[in-house]
Amino acid sequence: MDREHKDVLAYVEVSDGKPVNVGLELLTCARSIADGAGGKVLAVLIGSGLDAAVKKVAASGVDRVIVVTDPAYTAFRQDEYTSVLERLIRRYEPAVVLTGNTSLSIGLAPRLAARFESGCVADVTSVRRENGRLIWLTTRYCGTVLANEVITNSALQFATVRPGSFSKPETSKTAAPVEKISVAVPADTVRTKIRDTVQKISETVNLEDADVVVAGGRGMGSAENFKLVEKLAALLGGVVGATRPVIEDGWISRAHQVGQSGKIVSPRLYIACGISGATQHVTGMTSSRFIVAINKDEDAPIFEIANVGVVGDVMKVLPVMMEEIRKIKTEA
Amino acid sequence: MEILVCIKQVPDDSVEVHLKPDGTPDIDKIDKVVNAFDTYALEMATRLKEAVGGEITVVSVGGDSVRDALKNCLSVGADHAYRLTDPAFAGSDTLGKALLLARAKTWLEKKSGKPFDLIFCGLMATDRPSGQTGAELAEILGAGLITGIVDISYKDGVISAQQETDSGYNVVETAAPCVVTVNRPAYDPRYPTIKSKLAAKKMPIDAIPLAELGMDGTKVGAAAARTRTVSFTEPPKKAAGIKINEKDQAESARKLVAMMVKAKVL
Repeated sequence: MDREHKDVLAYVEVSDGKPVNVGLELLTCARSIADGAGGKVLAVLIGSGLDAAVKKVAASGVDRVIVVTDPAYTAFRQDEYTSVLERLIRRYEPAVVLTGNTSLSIGLAPRLAARFESGCVADVTSVRRENGRLIWLTTRYCGTVLANEVITNSALQFATVRPGSFSKPETSKTAAPVEKISVAVPADTVRTKIRDTVQKISETVNLEDADVVVAGGRGMGSAENFKLVEKLAALLGGVVGATRPVIEDGWISRAHQVGQSGKIVSPRLYIACGISGATQHVTGMTSSRFIVAINKDEDAPIFEIANVGVVGDVMKVLPVMMEEIRKIKTEA
Repeated sequence: MEILVCIKQVPDDSVEVHLKPDGTPDIDKIDKVVNAFDTYALEMATRLKEAVGGEITVVSVGGDSVRDALKNCLSVGADHAYRLTDPAFAGSDTLGKALLLARAKTWLEKKSGKPFDLIFCGLMATDRPSGQTGAELAEILGAGLITGIVDISYKDGVISAQQETDSGYNVVETAAPCVVTVNRPAYDPRYPTIKSKLAAKKMPIDAIPLAELGMDGTKVGAAAARTRTVSFTEPPKKAAGIKINEKDQAESARKLVAMMVKAKVL
């Protein structure tokens, strides 16, 4: 390589005009990699109606914000965004490219890695530098094992970052310069088209952002009983989570699912009600800071990761719990 | 409609994995199953085949044991199964595997004389949740890609897929050929019947070796891998929590709230 490749290009996904959480979180990851190499962080935003998001990212400790807007980009466009990022990578020649491991962004990094014949690590939870090389920590087997990975034989390093793994950067006093670039995407690279965007749920379920998550499993017994989970969540100003069986039984919409085929959450407080703790669920909530579990089965695996657990019937425990919490609230 | 479904054999994901004394994952004794997301992909492909006609071929990269995984697929909808088995493939990273799958697709098309319209992959593997193979495969093939779909249909040459989003879904359209990666749909994968199991037993599962793929092996295997695992660790164990188990459950609830107050989480 004749040029010095030290910079980190960080793609910040935007949804409803706001950067998604992991989009901001990965800037913290980008900063630490860039600082270790004496490089810069180039944040990239693609879409339309990005002004507020750009402002936020510019004040998030980055060195430069690159904005590619097009009025046609009203929703996440896989093919176009891949081509835009390819162009930006050729132009800015970063050493590392980060994207969030989100349901929409998941294909970007591997496609680009294939395009550049480079290595890509996925679902990164932390990164460190050892003897000049980056060691990426990634999850395996539902998070029960972690792997230290390196990228070799590769000019570029691609990584997708697991939501909730890095803290968001603090707001900086000065804003980074913003560069608006237009990128013409060759028509023959656009193979898919979003025909329609369907909103199934009116309320936005922002599990990843939640400070408190109250989640219920099949142990709640019925859709009727599950309402208690919703009531406790409302009382605590939290968001309702659920396990896959609960979604399948139709007690609550899929947007509330936590775990392997749902959302990865890391709230300050996670209350698991009638959840046994299958690995597929635990992988989505194990990094919660304080975990409370209520389950009638004393040997339920959820108790192994809970800070406090109650062995008992959720239908008896939850009402008293709520009564107590209400008392505290009125006292305060 | 000609459909290719790429599957991976993984350790049963309901079993917690620990490390052996030598620091590698202790998975030898865990049952091997078809990756859950790949079973969703096969079910979706089978429903599509039932709706519009055609055939499904399943393919997997792996050793002799992938026969079992492929046999299962043959009993729940697949018509043909092939395994990419060759010592030269061992240690391939996702890009290497995607390359193998891409070459296998071409090889299979030459053999049958029919090009594939759709290639299904699971959204990710449960043993290594990278979600890369399908995307890399699309890129190598120069085909369209739709990630995280929960339903699909085909009419008048247009593939239409529901791509799950946080608040609902996108309807994404494309023309064949296209690679789709499948998230959990609203339905469960079907179970095999005794009859379908017996039929699957009799079906061939041929190996496609390196020599057949028209490549020299420098792009696959451990030496060509661009990602390498240097070591494994187990996540730090949470300190053993407190378990409350009073006879009076109301008392348990009160104790719990008191502890939450003490921990300043309320």
